[in-house]
Amino acid sequence: MDTKTIDYQKERVVYYKVLVGLLLLTAVTFVQPHMFMTHSTFLAQMLIAVAKAWLIVMYYMHLKGEKLIGASVIFALFLVAVFFVIVIGVDVPNFQYATDSYITSAPNAN
Amino acid sequence: MAHAYVPEIAIDREGNEHEVQGWQDDFYGGKLGFWLFMLTEVMMFGGMFLALAYYNTLHPQDYINASASLNRLLGGTNTVILLVSALTMGLGLLKMRVGDVKGAKLMIWATIILATAFLIIKGFEWTAEYHHGVFLMHDKLLADSTALPFGQKLFFGMYFTMTGLHGLHIIIGIGLMIWLLKRINANKVRQDHHILYWNIALYWDIVHLIWVFVFPYFYMIGAAGGTGGH
Repeated sequence: MDTKTIDYQKERVVYYKVLVGLLLLTAVTFVQPHMFMTHSTFLAQMLIAVAKAWLIVMYYMHLKGEKLIGASVIFALFLVAVFFVIVIGVDVPNFQYATDSYITSAPNAN
Repeated sequence: MAHAYVPEIAIDREGNEHEVQGWQDDFYGGKLGFWLFMLTEVMMFGGMFLALAYYNTLHPQDYINASASLNRLLGGTNTVILLVSALTMGLGLLKMRVGDVKGAKLMIWATIILATAFLIIKGFEWTAEYHHGVFLMHDKLLADSTALPFGQKLFFGMYFTMTGLHGLHIIIGIGLMIWLLKRINANKVRQDHHILYWNIALYWDIVHLIWVFVFPYFYMIGAAGGTGGH
């Protein structure tokens, strides 16, 4: 069983504060393409998403203070990131079969 | 044939024997196991995001144009719905932990209603796209169709696959919440034994978390305006 004693009012306030933070970040998601980093929309959107994800994981998923689970999460994310770097950072720029691949040379591909 | 009960014995560092008790109340073990399951979810969706990013780097302008044609009002509404549903689920768990069972059940029902609203909106969105000729294995997305550039076909293929898989997770979540309500009614989930509630709340958070990345990638990268779309 969960042996932690909890302060209902205090935890409830944290939940509402996180909700406000997430709503604000969602609002930023909508105004960003017209207000800032307009030439890097993808990067800006992903940065906002990471900030939202951090709030959710730390406070809604109670990962704050969980060392073992936190380390497992970081390890899993690291593995995913390694594959991203290999595929997007290394494989795509050095792709040697662009003219042979249907994905890159389909009749109406651009 | 009945088997005699043979206790499992664990020996500590001092050599003392202890009978291993059931692990029904192993709160941390239950939580850790569920986190491991969720990491497999991260890797599964991570692989799909990788495919999405791979096609995106090959056809960047097609992706922006296709994204520009999606309905951001409906997508944004669903974002807020999921956001509030994560709150209701979390508050419900909090209520259960302090012994307010009735309040906890109300919060689960609120989450179920919000999840259903999400699916209904998604259904409207998909129906509209179908009528525009954009759907898996249909009209403009068929291999021999020239109505859409190839990159847009890839975008929409990933869009329907990933939002569809996410929708399936929502449906499973609703099923889990109904099961949770039954377990609460049967007094199998209660203030001093709520690991099931905790893990279903975690599941709902990961469903929300996946949407946090799905939404901007599909709906927002073309928000500044593309040059076409379906």
